[in-house]
Amino acid sequence: MDGTTKGISVNITGTEVYVRIVGRGTFQNGQPLRRYAMEMLGRGCDQFFVDLNQCQGMDSTFLGVLAGIGLRLSQGGHAGKIHVVNVSARNVELLQTLGLDRLFDVNFVGRDHTHHMFPTETTFQMLPDSDLVDTSKSLNKRDTANFMLESHNNLVKADPRNAPKFQDLTKFLREKVGDQPASQNPKP
Amino acid sequence: MKDFRIEQESCGNIQLIRLQGSLDMYSFPRLESQLQTLFQQGRYCLMLDCSQLDYIGSAGLGALIGFAKQAREHDGDLKLLRVPERIYKIVELLGFTKVLQVYNTEETAIASFQKP
Repeated sequence: MDGTTKGISVNITGTEVYVRIVGRGTFQNGQPLRRYAMEMLGRGCDQFFVDLNQCQGMDSTFLGVLAGIGLRLSQGGHAGKIHVVNVSARNVELLQTLGLDRLFDVNFVGRDHTHHMFPTETTFQMLPDSDLVDTSKSLNKRDTANFMLESHNNLVKADPRNAPKFQDLTKFLREKVGDQPASQNPKP
Repeated sequence: MKDFRIEQESCGNIQLIRLQGSLDMYSFPRLESQLQTLFQQGRYCLMLDCSQLDYIGSAGLGALIGFAKQAREHDGDLKLLRVPERIYKIVELLGFTKVLQVYNTEETAIASFQKP
Protein backbone atom coordinates (compact mmCIF):
# COMPACT_ATOMS: atom_id res chain seq x y z
CA MET A 1 0.00 0.00 0.00
CA ASP A 2 1.22 3.50 -0.79
CA GLY A 3 2.18 5.13 2.50
CA THR A 4 0.91 8.51 1.32
CA THR A 5 -2.65 7.36 0.52
CA LYS A 6 -4.95 9.31 2.82
CA GLY A 7 -7.04 7.27 5.19
CA ILE A 8 -6.69 4.77 8.00
CA SER A 9 -4.79 1.54 7.56
CA VAL A 10 -4.57 -1.24 10.10
CA ASN A 11 -2.60 -4.32 10.98
CA ILE A 12 -2.99 -6.90 13.74
CA THR A 13 -0.19 -8.95 15.28
CA GLY A 14 -1.30 -11.24 18.08
CA THR A 15 -3.15 -9.01 20.54
CA GLU A 16 -1.49 -5.84 19.23
CA VAL A 17 -3.37 -3.61 16.82
CA TYR A 18 -1.50 -1.11 14.66
CA VAL A 19 -3.31 1.87 13.21
CA ARG A 20 -1.78 4.36 10.80
CA ILE A 21 -3.55 7.65 10.08
CA VAL A 22 -2.61 9.55 6.95
CA GLY A 23 -4.28 12.94 6.47
CA ARG A 24 -6.97 14.05 8.87
CA GLY A 25 -8.81 12.03 11.48
CA THR A 26 -12.40 13.23 11.33
CA PHE A 27 -15.94 12.33 12.35
CA GLN A 28 -16.24 10.65 8.95
CA ASN A 29 -13.33 8.24 9.03
CA GLY A 30 -13.69 7.87 12.80
CA GLN A 31 -16.72 5.64 12.21
CA PRO A 32 -14.88 2.85 10.36
CA LEU A 33 -12.10 3.06 12.94
CA ARG A 34 -14.60 2.67 15.78
CA ARG A 35 -16.18 -0.38 14.12
CA TYR A 36 -12.80 -1.98 13.57
CA ALA A 37 -11.58 -1.21 17.09
CA MET A 38 -14.73 -2.66 18.69
CA GLU A 39 -14.23 -5.87 16.70
CA MET A 40 -10.58 -6.09 17.78
CA LEU A 41 -11.46 -5.38 21.42
CA GLY A 42 -14.02 -8.17 21.18
CA ARG A 43 -11.25 -10.49 20.00
CA GLY A 44 -9.20 -9.67 23.08
CA CYS A 45 -6.69 -7.25 21.58
CA ASP A 46 -5.36 -5.10 24.39
CA GLN A 47 -2.58 -2.97 22.94
CA PHE A 48 -3.36 -0.36 20.30
CA PHE A 49 -0.54 1.52 18.59
CA VAL A 50 -1.63 4.59 16.65
CA ASP A 51 0.92 6.19 14.33
CA LEU A 52 0.26 9.92 13.84
CA ASN A 53 3.41 10.61 11.83
CA GLN A 54 1.41 11.56 8.73
CA CYS A 55 -1.68 12.77 10.56
CA GLN A 56 -2.41 16.43 9.75
CA GLY A 57 -4.86 16.82 12.58
CA MET A 58 -7.85 15.27 14.33
CA ASP A 59 -11.26 16.63 15.11
CA SER A 60 -12.88 16.16 18.50
CA THR A 61 -15.10 13.32 17.27
CA PHE A 62 -12.10 11.34 16.07
CA LEU A 63 -10.29 12.01 19.34
CA GLY A 64 -13.41 10.80 21.12
CA VAL A 65 -13.15 7.50 19.24
CA LEU A 66 -9.56 7.10 20.45
CA ALA A 67 -10.67 8.08 23.96
CA GLY A 68 -13.40 5.42 23.80
CA ILE A 69 -10.84 2.77 22.92
CA GLY A 70 -8.57 3.99 25.73
CA LEU A 71 -11.42 3.97 28.26
CA ARG A 72 -12.47 0.47 27.25
CA LEU A 73 -8.90 -0.77 27.56
CA SER A 74 -8.54 0.72 31.03
CA GLN A 75 -11.80 -0.76 32.37
CA GLY A 76 -11.55 -3.17 35.26
CA GLY A 77 -7.88 -2.52 35.90
CA HIS A 78 -6.76 -4.23 32.69
CA ALA A 79 -3.25 -3.61 31.44
CA GLY A 80 -4.53 -2.65 28.00
CA LYS A 81 -3.34 0.65 26.64
CA ILE A 82 -3.48 2.89 23.64
CA HIS A 83 -0.08 4.12 22.52
CA VAL A 84 0.09 7.08 20.17
CA VAL A 85 3.43 7.37 18.46
CA ASN A 86 5.19 9.92 16.27
CA VAL A 87 3.01 12.69 17.64
CA SER A 88 3.77 16.18 16.33
CA ALA A 89 3.84 19.22 18.62
CA ARG A 90 0.48 20.32 17.19
CA ASN A 91 -1.17 16.97 17.89
CA VAL A 92 0.42 16.81 21.35
CA GLU A 93 -1.24 20.13 22.12
CA LEU A 94 -4.60 18.73 21.01
CA LEU A 95 -4.20 15.67 23.23
CA GLN A 96 -3.12 17.81 26.19
CA THR A 97 -5.97 20.27 25.70
CA LEU A 98 -8.44 17.40 26.09
CA GLY A 99 -6.54 15.64 28.87
CA LEU A 100 -5.98 12.58 26.70
CA ASP A 101 -2.25 12.60 27.35
CA ARG A 102 -3.12 11.06 30.71
CA LEU A 103 -5.22 8.29 29.19
CA PHE A 104 -2.83 7.44 26.35
CA ASP A 105 0.83 6.55 26.31
CA VAL A 106 2.09 9.46 24.17
CA ASN A 107 5.36 9.16 22.26
CA PHE A 108 6.63 12.32 20.64
CA VAL A 109 8.23 12.55 17.22
CA GLY A 110 11.85 11.50 17.36
CA ARG A 111 11.61 9.24 20.39
CA ASP A 112 13.14 5.80 19.87
CA HIS A 113 10.40 3.25 19.13
CA THR A 114 12.58 0.31 18.21
CA HIS A 115 10.84 -1.80 20.87
CA HIS A 116 7.50 -1.10 19.20
CA MET A 117 8.43 -1.10 15.54
CA PHE A 118 5.44 -0.97 13.27
CA PRO A 119 4.95 -3.90 10.90
CA THR A 120 6.05 -3.33 7.32
CA GLU A 121 3.92 -1.08 5.15
CA THR A 122 2.79 -3.87 2.83
CA THR A 123 1.01 -5.72 5.61
CA PHE A 124 -1.39 -2.86 6.34
CA GLN A 125 -4.96 -2.89 5.07
CA MET A 126 -6.88 0.29 4.37
CA LEU A 127 -10.13 0.49 6.32
CA PRO A 128 -13.10 0.84 3.95
CA ASP A 129 -14.59 4.36 3.77
CA SER A 130 -11.66 5.88 5.63
CA ASP A 131 -10.18 7.84 2.73
CA LEU A 132 -12.61 10.77 3.04
CA VAL A 133 -13.55 10.69 -0.64
CA ASP A 134 -17.09 11.96 -0.41
CA THR A 135 -17.91 9.69 2.50
CA SER A 136 -20.69 12.05 3.59
CA LYS A 137 -22.90 10.44 0.95
CA SER A 138 -22.97 7.16 2.79
CA LEU A 139 -23.56 8.56 6.26
CA ASN A 140 -26.93 8.48 7.94
CA LYS A 141 -27.75 11.69 9.81
CA ARG A 142 -29.07 10.09 12.97
CA ASP A 143 -26.31 7.48 13.11
CA THR A 144 -23.76 10.24 12.65
CA ALA A 145 -25.32 12.35 15.42
CA ASN A 146 -25.38 9.32 17.74
CA PHE A 147 -21.78 8.53 16.90
CA MET A 148 -20.65 12.10 17.50
CA LEU A 149 -22.55 12.28 20.78
CA GLU A 150 -20.95 9.06 22.00
CA SER A 151 -17.50 10.36 21.00
CA HIS A 152 -17.91 13.62 22.87
CA ASN A 153 -19.31 11.78 25.90
CA ASN A 154 -16.10 9.71 25.82
CA LEU A 155 -14.06 12.90 25.93
CA VAL A 156 -16.00 14.08 28.96
CA LYS A 157 -15.58 10.69 30.67
CA ALA A 158 -11.86 10.84 29.94
CA ASP A 159 -11.61 14.32 31.46
CA PRO A 160 -14.66 16.02 33.02
CA ARG A 161 -13.08 19.41 32.29
CA ASN A 162 -14.10 18.82 28.66
CA ALA A 163 -17.82 19.13 29.49
CA PRO A 164 -18.09 22.93 29.10
CA LYS A 165 -16.04 22.87 25.90
CA PHE A 166 -18.58 20.68 24.15
CA GLN A 167 -21.80 21.65 25.91
CA ASP A 168 -23.30 23.47 22.91
CA LEU A 169 -22.47 20.62 20.56
CA THR A 170 -23.66 17.83 22.86
CA LYS A 171 -26.91 19.68 23.63
CA PHE A 172 -27.54 20.09 19.91
CA LEU A 173 -26.71 16.44 19.21
CA ARG A 174 -28.94 15.18 22.03
CA GLU A 175 -31.85 17.17 20.61
CA LYS A 176 -31.06 15.94 17.10
CA VAL A 177 -30.91 12.30 18.16
CA GLY A 178 -34.24 12.74 19.92
CA ASP A 179 -35.81 14.48 16.93
CA GLN A 180 -35.14 12.07 14.11
CA PRO A 181 -36.54 8.65 13.31
CA ALA A 182 -34.17 5.72 13.68
CA SER A 183 -32.23 4.56 10.65
CA GLN A 184 -34.02 1.85 8.71
CA ASN A 185 -30.71 0.20 7.92
CA PRO A 186 -28.45 0.90 10.86
CA LYS A 187 -24.81 0.14 10.41
CA PRO A 188 -23.45 -2.70 12.51
CA MET B 1 -2.28 22.70 4.83
CA LYS B 2 -2.90 26.48 4.78
CA ASP B 3 -2.30 28.52 7.93
CA PHE B 4 -5.48 29.74 9.54
CA ARG B 5 -6.12 33.45 9.05
CA ILE B 6 -8.84 35.80 10.23
CA GLU B 7 -9.61 39.20 8.74
CA GLN B 8 -12.33 41.48 9.94
CA GLU B 9 -14.14 44.45 8.45
CA SER B 10 -17.25 46.41 9.28
CA CYS B 11 -20.29 46.73 7.01
CA GLY B 12 -22.26 49.28 8.97
CA ASN B 13 -23.20 47.61 12.24
CA ILE B 14 -22.43 44.17 10.82
CA GLN B 15 -19.03 42.60 11.31
CA LEU B 16 -17.72 40.57 8.38
CA ILE B 17 -15.12 38.03 9.45
CA ARG B 18 -13.21 36.35 6.66
CA LEU B 19 -11.79 32.95 7.50
CA GLN B 20 -9.00 31.28 5.59
CA GLY B 21 -7.41 27.83 5.99
CA SER B 22 -8.49 25.16 8.46
CA LEU B 23 -10.83 25.87 11.34
CA ASP B 24 -10.00 23.00 13.65
CA MET B 25 -9.51 22.50 17.37
CA TYR B 26 -6.05 23.96 17.04
CA SER B 27 -7.13 27.19 15.35
CA PHE B 28 -10.63 27.61 16.78
CA PRO B 29 -9.52 29.36 20.01
CA ARG B 30 -8.33 32.28 17.85
CA LEU B 31 -11.77 32.72 16.34
CA GLU B 32 -13.40 32.15 19.72
CA SER B 33 -11.28 34.93 21.22
CA GLN B 34 -12.18 37.31 18.38
CA LEU B 35 -15.90 36.57 18.72
CA GLN B 36 -15.77 37.08 22.49
CA THR B 37 -14.04 40.44 21.98
CA LEU B 38 -16.75 41.52 19.54
CA PHE B 39 -19.46 40.52 22.01
CA GLN B 40 -17.71 42.49 24.76
CA GLN B 41 -17.82 45.50 22.42
CA GLY B 42 -21.56 44.98 22.00
CA ARG B 43 -21.29 43.80 18.38
CA TYR B 44 -23.70 40.96 17.87
CA CYS B 45 -24.36 41.04 14.11
CA LEU B 46 -21.73 38.78 12.63
CA MET B 47 -21.12 37.14 9.26
CA LEU B 48 -18.45 34.50 8.83
CA ASP B 49 -17.18 34.38 5.26
CA CYS B 50 -16.16 30.76 4.75
CA SER B 51 -15.23 30.95 1.04
CA GLN B 52 -11.52 30.48 1.74
CA LEU B 53 -12.04 27.85 4.40
CA ASP B 54 -10.79 24.40 3.48
CA TYR B 55 -11.86 22.54 6.60
CA ILE B 56 -14.11 22.95 9.62
CA GLY B 57 -14.19 20.52 12.53
CA SER B 58 -17.24 19.25 14.36
CA ALA B 59 -16.38 20.95 17.65
CA GLY B 60 -15.88 24.28 15.89
CA LEU B 61 -19.28 24.04 14.28
CA GLY B 62 -20.83 23.09 17.59
CA ALA B 63 -19.27 26.07 19.29
CA LEU B 64 -20.60 28.40 16.57
CA ILE B 65 -24.11 27.35 17.59
CA GLY B 66 -23.38 28.70 21.06
CA PHE B 67 -22.12 32.00 19.65
CA ALA B 68 -25.16 32.31 17.37
CA LYS B 69 -27.42 31.72 20.37
CA GLN B 70 -25.64 34.40 22.39
CA ALA B 71 -25.86 36.83 19.48
CA ARG B 72 -29.61 36.23 19.10
CA GLU B 73 -30.14 36.94 22.79
CA HIS B 74 -28.86 40.44 22.00
CA ASP B 75 -30.95 40.91 18.83
CA GLY B 76 -28.08 39.92 16.59
CA ASP B 77 -27.04 36.73 14.86
CA LEU B 78 -24.07 34.81 13.54
CA LYS B 79 -24.52 33.77 9.92
CA LEU B 80 -22.36 31.78 7.54
CA LEU B 81 -21.50 33.20 4.15
CA ARG B 82 -20.23 31.49 0.99
CA VAL B 83 -19.71 28.05 2.48
CA PRO B 84 -17.77 25.81 0.05
CA GLU B 85 -19.81 22.82 -1.16
CA ARG B 86 -17.55 20.28 0.50
CA ILE B 87 -17.98 21.97 3.88
CA TYR B 88 -21.67 22.65 3.29
CA LYS B 89 -22.24 18.90 2.90
CA ILE B 90 -20.84 18.39 6.39
CA VAL B 91 -22.80 21.32 7.85
CA GLU B 92 -25.99 19.95 6.29
CA LEU B 93 -25.28 16.34 7.26
CA LEU B 94 -24.84 17.33 10.88
CA GLY B 95 -28.05 19.35 10.82
CA PHE B 96 -26.39 22.67 11.58
CA THR B 97 -28.29 24.38 8.77
CA LYS B 98 -31.34 24.24 11.06
CA VAL B 99 -29.67 26.54 13.55
CA LEU B 100 -27.09 28.45 11.50
CA GLN B 101 -28.28 30.46 8.53
CA VAL B 102 -26.16 30.12 5.40
CA TYR B 103 -26.05 32.69 2.58
CA ASN B 104 -24.39 32.66 -0.82
CA THR B 105 -23.88 36.41 -1.18
CA GLU B 106 -22.85 39.21 1.12
CA GLU B 107 -25.80 41.30 -0.05
CA THR B 108 -28.44 38.73 0.91
CA ALA B 109 -26.73 38.09 4.23
CA ILE B 110 -26.61 41.81 5.05
CA ALA B 111 -30.24 42.24 3.97
CA SER B 112 -31.29 39.39 6.27
CA PHE B 113 -30.01 41.36 9.28
CA GLN B 114 -32.24 44.25 8.33
CA LYS B 115 -35.46 42.23 8.33
CA PRO B 116 -37.68 42.83 11.37
